[in-house]
Amino acid sequence: MSVGYSAVQWSHHKRVYDAIAAGAAAGYIAAFLAIGKVLWHGQHAISDEILVMRALGSCAIVLLHVILCIGPLARLDARFLPVLYNRRHLGVMTFLIALSHAALAIGYYHGFGVVNPAYSLLTSSASINSFASFPFEWLGLGALLIMFLMASTSHDFWLRNLSSRTWKRLHMLVYVAYALLIGHVALGALQTNRGDLAPILMGLGLLLVCGLHLAAARREHAIDRGQNPATSNSETWLDAGPVASIPKSRARSVCAPGGERIAVFRHAGGVSAVTNTCAHQGGPLSEGRVIDGCITCPWHGWQYKPGDGCSPPPFQEKIATYQIRIVQGRAEVNTRPLPPGTPVEPARLGESDLAGAYGEGLHV
Amino acid sequence: MSDPNSSSPHDPPFDPPFYVGYLPVPAPLRRFLGIAAPLAAGLVIIAALAASVTQRDPGPARWNDGVAQQFRGHLIRWPYPILLVSDDSAKHEASMYLLVEMGKHGAERPKWSRDGVAVFASGWKLDRDGRQMIELEPASDALREDTSIPRLAVSSPVQIGTVTLKGEIVDSKCYLGAMKPGEGKTHKACATLCIKGGIPPVLVTRDASGRLDHILLCSETGEALGSEIWPFIADPVAITGELEVWHGLKRLRVSAGGIHSL
Ligand code: HEM
Ligand code: FES
Repeated sequence: MSVGYSAVQWSHHKRVYDAIAAGAAAGYIAAFLAIGKVLWHGQHAISDEILVMRALGSCAIVLLHVILCIGPLARLDARFLPVLYNRRHLGVMTFLIALSHAALAIGYYHGFGVVNPAYSLLTSSASINSFASFPFEWLGLGALLIMFLMASTSHDFWLRNLSSRTWKRLHMLVYVAYALLIGHVALGALQTNRGDLAPILMGLGLLLVCGLHLAAARREHAIDRGQNPATSNSETWLDAGPVASIPKSRARSVCAPGGERIAVFRHAGGVSAVTNTCAHQGGPLSEGRVIDGCITCPWHGWQYKPGDGCSPPPFQEKIATYQIRIVQGRAEVNTRPLPPGTPVEPARLGESDLAGAYGEGLHV
Repeated sequence: MSDPNSSSPHDPPFDPPFYVGYLPVPAPLRRFLGIAAPLAAGLVIIAALAASVTQRDPGPARWNDGVAQQFRGHLIRWPYPILLVSDDSAKHEASMYLLVEMGKHGAERPKWSRDGVAVFASGWKLDRDGRQMIELEPASDALREDTSIPRLAVSSPVQIGTVTLKGEIVDSKCYLGAMKPGEGKTHKACATLCIKGGIPPVLVTRDASGRLDHILLCSETGEALGSEIWPFIADPVAITGELEVWHGLKRLRVSAGGIHSL
């Protein structure tokens, strides 16, 4: 966790980020409304409530696509990491826009009637026997509930209280929400929109999200295959390659036979191995840097000391560490994780270990 | 990360600028984001234009919801309350107005049990393709008896015979302009609520020449329809029943079990 944590909670970056995101959302809604008004006017005008409802709903789903693409984009190209950094604000914003859409839909289509709107929402469509007439609103409601759960637990307070694992699982539900929303649109708007453009847009969005996730997964898989667990000298010591080829203040990740990824960092004090999984939201520590003597996560900048996996005071986060040794210039890691926060003496580098090494003097 | 065994110590290491939220953004990253952010925002706007263009024409329906208008005519129930205004403007023919209340409610207020009583009505006109409706003002005297005009001797409708018609069941109020669009799948829940609330159900169909036609739906015995049509609202359906025409208005007395999803 960052040393300056409390001072930077709402940093300048976050404000710029939020301003850009809010500006894009406002631009989306304005453009949607403008086209709707120009296209259908006079006697053929679309009701304002319906136009706004559509603008909000489609804006929310476009933002959801952006959110879903950021993860794999950042894995494929580290320059997208700043967009990942504040993704939760984007998530909360998307939820609020979706909520406005749903409130308008429920108020307008389910209000003014003989039963209360909530009852109408749950009962109005009497025909769930046919696929095409399935009440698509229920799918939207399911997605909205998931988005609510995610938005309301997005603060780090919940991350700590739910445990990183539960929190991560909860937030994986975003894919369930996405699937529900594809149903919401396919069984709703796509049944009444004109032409083929709407299904094509939906298909392109799905293709983009799936394509990026597949590309990122393939890359990850290739990385794992790149390290050959067969080179482990014994059952417990895993070869992590030549120390000299790890740039200074950076890491290489190796994959233990059990699938657990380990980050091997080269820093001023030598070479240390820690779990690759950040205690915050599971960010890939091996893609981080050593800054001010601390391993720094690429996702949100949480920090850990390489020697014991503990966050610098006053923070108390801990990650698992691994025993490490250097044999003939190659790092070897003991694949048995030590309890989080266990001090491990860094392996020292001899002159010969560093022959041809990079990064001397880089990243002080 | 590459294969630890194959990475040659003489390849320059790939060193992308590293971003930490609480530290200044490195210049190359700033440049990248300076291009990527406007590009992404541009894509979002293009998505808005594309999504908006897919919207369908909601139809030529109008809702004059400004100042309430006054109407005089004869009230009939067929079985839904209808105002028959003779000599409407200069057309020298009777105009039919379905009567409804504000919100999703049919006009339950007429206490006159016999057809043909003369009334004043005040409310807002809705119309589409020559079909008309009055949304009554909420005031209790928005529909009151007009004793200056004699009752109308109600003639019998013309029986056309048994027919099967294909189309969509809509709630007449939204369809005639209360909501635009007021038909189709996205409007199904609302249409169901309207019809449950007593808004007259109408079958929108096409006649032999392909022209739009609108047919009021009632039960076999001429009563207002109940829950039997709810599952079919806003879906493509075929309906069998007895077709009748009265003052240019068509209604179908739906046979028991006469509605089928297509
Ligand atoms: C209780 C929850 C929800 C209800 C009752 C609901 C209801 C509706 C309704 C009635 C429509 C059709 C609007 C029309 O064309 O007349 C619609 C469209 C749509 N909804 Fe929802 N919705 C809900 C949640 C959501 C959520 C959470 C999202 C996305 C994040 C969403 C995204 C959309 C989209 C993209 C459309 C298509 C808009 C268009 O026609 O261009 N909805 N929704
Ligand atoms: S700092 Fe958030 S995942 Fe590491």
